[in-house]
Amino acid sequence: MLTAVKHPEVLAPAGTPEKLKVAIDYGADAVYIGGDAYGLRSRAGNFSFEEMRVGADYAHQHNAKVYVAANIVAHEQNLAGAGSFYRQVRDAGIDAVIVSDPSLIETAITEAPGLKVHLSTQASATNYETLNFWQHEGLERVVLAREVGIAEIKEMRQHTDVQIEAFVHGAMCIGYSGRCVLSNHLSLRDANRGGCAQNCRWKYDLFDIPDLGQKRELLGHGPDGKTEKFSMSAVDMAMIEHIPDLVEAGVDSLKIEGRMKTVHYVSTVANVYSTAVRQYCADPAHYQLDPAWVDELWKVAQRELSTGFYYGTPDEDFQLFGKRRRLSHYAFVGEVLAYDAVTKQVTVQQRNNFGIGDEIEFYGPNFAHHKQVVTDLFDDQDQAIERAPHAMQVVHFTCAQPVHPGDFVRAQAQHS
Amino acid sequence: MSELVTTVADYAQAEAVITAGADRLYLGEDEFGLRLPHSFQRAELNEIVELAHQNNVKVTVAVNAIFHNDRIAMVGEYLRFLAQIKVDEVSIGDPGAINILQREQLGLPYIYDAADLVTSSRQINFWGKHGATAAVLAHEVPYQEMVPLSKNVAIPVEITVYGAIVIHQSGRPLLQNYSNFVQEHLAQTDRQRGLFIATPHHEETHYSIYEDRNGTHIFANNDLDLLTDLPKLWALGLRRWKLDGLFADVTTFSQIVAVFAQARDLLLAGTATPEALAELDRQVHELQPAARGLDNGFFDLDPDEVK
Repeated sequence: MLTAVKHPEVLAPAGTPEKLKVAIDYGADAVYIGGDAYGLRSRAGNFSFEEMRVGADYAHQHNAKVYVAANIVAHEQNLAGAGSFYRQVRDAGIDAVIVSDPSLIETAITEAPGLKVHLSTQASATNYETLNFWQHEGLERVVLAREVGIAEIKEMRQHTDVQIEAFVHGAMCIGYSGRCVLSNHLSLRDANRGGCAQNCRWKYDLFDIPDLGQKRELLGHGPDGKTEKFSMSAVDMAMIEHIPDLVEAGVDSLKIEGRMKTVHYVSTVANVYSTAVRQYCADPAHYQLDPAWVDELWKVAQRELSTGFYYGTPDEDFQLFGKRRRLSHYAFVGEVLAYDAVTKQVTVQQRNNFGIGDEIEFYGPNFAHHKQVVTDLFDDQDQAIERAPHAMQVVHFTCAQPVHPGDFVRAQAQHS
Repeated sequence: MSELVTTVADYAQAEAVITAGADRLYLGEDEFGLRLPHSFQRAELNEIVELAHQNNVKVTVAVNAIFHNDRIAMVGEYLRFLAQIKVDEVSIGDPGAINILQREQLGLPYIYDAADLVTSSRQINFWGKHGATAAVLAHEVPYQEMVPLSKNVAIPVEITVYGAIVIHQSGRPLLQNYSNFVQEHLAQTDRQRGLFIATPHHEETHYSIYEDRNGTHIFANNDLDLLTDLPKLWALGLRRWKLDGLFADVTTFSQIVAVFAQARDLLLAGTATPEALAELDRQVHELQPAARGLDNGFFDLDPDEVK
């Protein structure tokens, strides 16, 4: 009979200091962030060294870790200053850097001694010999390529004791990460230096040239009879229904994609995965998937969800073709600032327009949930209002069930 | 020292490119190597190695696939076979294969080749410290970056000077998946099928795409042709040049190799005038398959133009 098992880390993205705090409050065991240089998300709100220090302190107080993604593939002119960058990251108290380029790995190891290094998924590690190569180089952990299956991870585990990190949720590259320069050639933006223009999600014309002939367009038609152009757009990943497989295969860290995503997304996804992992590890024999977790992930889904390569090579159902399934859209409408148990008044800071008559949903760490319809609403002068239209507006209204500061409020978007 | 490296599609072409002036042949089988004009079985490989060595030409065998567990397990035996038939060098892009090569102690040199990922002197020297005797530079490195890079590298660098440039490798059967969805065009998705895609609003563009054992591969709009830029490479000491005949006509490819060999000889003799090179380049354009354009890729790009 299965007893409690080793608890793998749930690793969440944190594009900003606010998201770092939220991710940890919502159960993440670790977060990954970007610095001002060497990261692949040039448009995410990246961290200064001072913000890294504050973030690392917050994380460590909550028994969590912070990693810095510095996973560009450097060109000649990007090399100067890398050593100093890694030393400052180390001195800010960051727990590890996530690096892809071997030259930067070498720099981090030799010029910032003591800083732990993880191999980025951009390096496409797909076999145990590769894992052992990097462990021998001094790396603590390898983030696997997203092309690796569960059975392959199990086999790797038998041949290596380097830590294994694997993506469990979020958007996916359609190609081997790092082995795609569509963006460089089609948009003059370097995919491996933070400029990816997501050209894989474009619609392309497909052609051939019959013998001695002129080029010929190959038009395809979907099941609805409409023209369907060639595309390479992957649906997103969600492994929530397969947590036991991941843990049993020996994955040390379950990674959630999305440094560009919202506080709503980060809080929701970190909450779901940390709850599921905690429940499974506490009592594997009696673990059951809670369908509410799946529902919850759909509320922040941007595309359809799949299991990627974990159970085989993805077929056409794992790509975005044809008419898109209608996803339910939820808006993040506010954050709870206070709750008065006597008056049953909740004070909320507005993040999106909501008002009387809207069905809203409170959610908090440990998967706390409460749904209700807004029946009254007051501004900060205690004047009755119909709606809260202003960003960051502080309002209060009646909420029968106790909620907590830091809980979030969402509502189904009216026009989806 | 200079070296012309060329791909090989069959025995006859191997003979032809050797006659044309190739110094090194590059070939292999799809189980271990990426984007090869032909997947050579071991007996065929052996014959070509013998042919090359009789003519004082070297042979590099591609072992540069991205290996999963099932295939990495076969790499050791393959490397032993290659050492036994006296292959001169292998190309490797997966560090796991380096692990095996060094454990086997076969005395087989390797050139590091990870397609678009090799972009700096420090990375090249990293692989040099890990036993690589040369490295293949990414096509996305402009000339302006090659200048400092060439001064800083400790091992030779191979530059592709002619041929198709890969810009994407997916582990998914992207064409098959599309075909399955539209229930059309199902028959064939390999290189011989000659499929290509065009970007939105640019119907004139031509990005070749095919599937094989290693997934789906997509290539740049035009084939690379650095013939008139060879003096610049020569001056930097970057003189290991690869010609890739993946999409070239099997017979005219050796003629293209001959043209580049003439350019190399002119540079060697110190008589390469811009006019002479322009004339040779005109010949390359004449020999180029009609449906495939030529340009010099990222060579002239200002590095600051790339975001």
